[in-house]
Amino acid sequence: MKRLRMIVPVVVLVMVAAACAGDDDTTEPAGSGTGTGATDFQPDTGNVNLLSAAEPEEAGAYQEIFDELINADASYHAEVESAGNFEEQFQIRAEGGTLDVAAVPQPGAIPGLVDAGSLVSLEDLGFDIDALSAMLGESFVELGEYNGAHYGIPTNINLKSMVWYPKAAFDDAGYTVPETWDDLIALSDQIVADGGTPWCVGFQSEGSTGWPATDWMEDIMLRTAGGDVYDQWYKHEIPFNDESVLNAINTFGDVMFADGYVLGGAEATPDVPFGDAPLPMFQDPPGCWLHRQASFINAFFPTDTVAGEDYDWFPLPPIDQEGTLYAGELTVVGTAGNRAEVVDFLNQFIDQEVQCAMGGVQASSRISPNVEVGPECYANAILADASVILTESLSSGTGRFDASDLMPAEVGSGSFWSGMVDYMKSGPDSAQTVLDDIEASWPAA
Amino acid sequence: MSDPAAGPTMEAPALRPPSMPHAIGIWVLRIAAALAIPIVGFLLLTFTFQFLRDEDANRLLVVGVAIVVGVVGVFALYWAMNRVVDLLPERFREGVRPWVFVGPALVILSVFLLYPVINTVMISLQDAHGLEFVGLDNYGFVFTDESMLRAIRNTAGWVIIVPLFGVGIGLAFATLADRLHRGEGVAKSMIFLPMAISFVGASVTWRLIYSYRPSGFGTNIGLLNGVMQGLGQEPVSWLSLQPWNNLFLMVIMIWIQTGFAMVVLSAAIKSIPDEIVEAARIDGASEWQVFRRILVPSIWPTIVVVTTYMVINSLKIFDIVFVMGNAESDGTEVIAERMIRWFFLLNNDGRGAAIAVVLFIAIIPVMVWNIRRFREEEAIR
Repeated sequence: MKRLRMIVPVVVLVMVAAACAGDDDTTEPAGSGTGTGATDFQPDTGNVNLLSAAEPEEAGAYQEIFDELINADASYHAEVESAGNFEEQFQIRAEGGTLDVAAVPQPGAIPGLVDAGSLVSLEDLGFDIDALSAMLGESFVELGEYNGAHYGIPTNINLKSMVWYPKAAFDDAGYTVPETWDDLIALSDQIVADGGTPWCVGFQSEGSTGWPATDWMEDIMLRTAGGDVYDQWYKHEIPFNDESVLNAINTFGDVMFADGYVLGGAEATPDVPFGDAPLPMFQDPPGCWLHRQASFINAFFPTDTVAGEDYDWFPLPPIDQEGTLYAGELTVVGTAGNRAEVVDFLNQFIDQEVQCAMGGVQASSRISPNVEVGPECYANAILADASVILTESLSSGTGRFDASDLMPAEVGSGSFWSGMVDYMKSGPDSAQTVLDDIEASWPAA
Repeated sequence: MSDPAAGPTMEAPALRPPSMPHAIGIWVLRIAAALAIPIVGFLLLTFTFQFLRDEDANRLLVVGVAIVVGVVGVFALYWAMNRVVDLLPERFREGVRPWVFVGPALVILSVFLLYPVINTVMISLQDAHGLEFVGLDNYGFVFTDESMLRAIRNTAGWVIIVPLFGVGIGLAFATLADRLHRGEGVAKSMIFLPMAISFVGASVTWRLIYSYRPSGFGTNIGLLNGVMQGLGQEPVSWLSLQPWNNLFLMVIMIWIQTGFAMVVLSAAIKSIPDEIVEAARIDGASEWQVFRRILVPSIWPTIVVVTTYMVINSLKIFDIVFVMGNAESDGTEVIAERMIRWFFLLNNDGRGAAIAVVLFIAIIPVMVWNIRRFREEEAIR
């Protein structure tokens, strides 16, 4: 015991020293980040690292494109890093000041990192925001805006409002693609009357279970309340249990809880892995006829099925309003990327040539937000058709980004997901309670 | 090693109480001695050997130099400091010398253990991004949020049930396997095997056992649902069957840890002298009495250690829950899982740190109890 007492002074002294050293570390990057001019760059290092949530297979294909189109002529080496745990890695590197460039699928993370001084604004890097908006769609570029400065360049977009169907059987049965929401409901009723089950729905995604249901909600919210209310919704300018949201969740419930509409019943949907959900469409006769999911889902279809023959898709029809739901990536620059070569890389990355080449990668279903990239760039007709719809919605302003990725993570990757699971399990009467619970979980400003 | 410094230690230290300046002087010297090697080492490593960080350098050369510099350098540093102490006035010398050698360990302990603990407590009193102090708000969240309360309740369940069954089954196996005339090794290996699998790997395996597909989505491939259907029952979605899904997750950890308990307890049983057991049998003790009155008391210290290990492991459980689905919608949250979620996925440093502190405090009584027991045993010896 006596020996222990002797150690204490030394330990305290060392800790004070360590604490002082820690303070020095935290103040330093903030000081260097306050530069205002576009010329305030750090020295080039010869390497540009793009942190990405892409699968290793996709990242490999992108690397080949970078090697051929960028690295061959550049004074630096641009590399794509595929991070399996992207959200954690991104956060750690951004806050640690070691992040060059990251393609972020959840723009909701940006404000927090800007507050912490971990990101460099596009204005500070010398980008012309008007030129970017003209090239990539104003509403998409605006998603990266915070406190009057812009932090993210849209580099990838995918279409969410897609309804897939087994084309061969669908045509044989004499069904037609619905143009309106009422047509869609009529088609569902028709399928039930013919002894089939219209919808295949699966919300299970392990730790992220519930996200496909939030996409349904967003699609319906956009089509019932319109773009303006939708924007107020994700910005929390209206409460989550607002009348308009209640209307949307009830419209969603009308599909999910209708007798015979959903294969296995709504309460089973949180147990169906989202990747397995479309598979009954390809049974003979089809176990279900309609599946609403984003453009990536055909990667989960049986390998021997052919797009345009065995399956096809139509846009989810408008309800009271027109609208298109999309998701995508905003590419942001960390404090370690405040370099001239990074700016050069980003300019090449969003350029038509590289974006077109990336659209042709078979391993991914990547669509470019660059309006100059034409449908001919894409690996297949499905992506090309989707790109046309997306380009139109970006220029007309009816397109909206996935709201759950814009909300604070506590809601967008937390209570919104689990709330939707509760709703599926508790039934239509729980709509108000579910929305109240989500509203209560919204973090105080 | 012939150490010239070993000589003067033989001289008797002065018996008179040290004067005040002397006491201050020796403490300054002690602190200086404790810090000298870490500081010199840090400076040397920071400002020299830049080429070790050169990515294009020959790997083998870099490794070779690092080993030589590391081993010889550390040795040289200690040797040099030892010589420096020899230069001190005689009355200080032996009071300072131990600090030269203990110092680096203390510094490393402080930097990597104590400093993080204190820093975590500081962060837990701040807001999501460490910008403002918010007092005890984060702790208020920990003890009021519905999901956190479920996490605390579930963790309590893990801490009680896993060690209970893990140690219980392990002890039963260890006792019974000890009676086997043949095949003891094989039997114990079978139980021990899961120990070699990581928690994540085991979870993925058990996902297949608990696998569930609603009707219409193909045949059920899960073992349990196969049994259910064989018995003419409807398949069950095990992993979302609240609150029982918590127990199903605990089964995985028990499955992994029982082998560990069994091996350690088995070794303890084997070290019980045969005479005692035989004497008891001759005196007419039943098997149960032998077990209850001789075996268990003899290996009690080992049982305590194994239990403590399991309690601490259960308090920290994260992987299984994280892999087996959306904890929030399944109601299977545990404290460590909430901590990772708030800290790294929801980017709320304050709340994450507050949860970490609560977890840390929850572990302290177990540690204290364990250390106290250890001391008591030392005293008996």
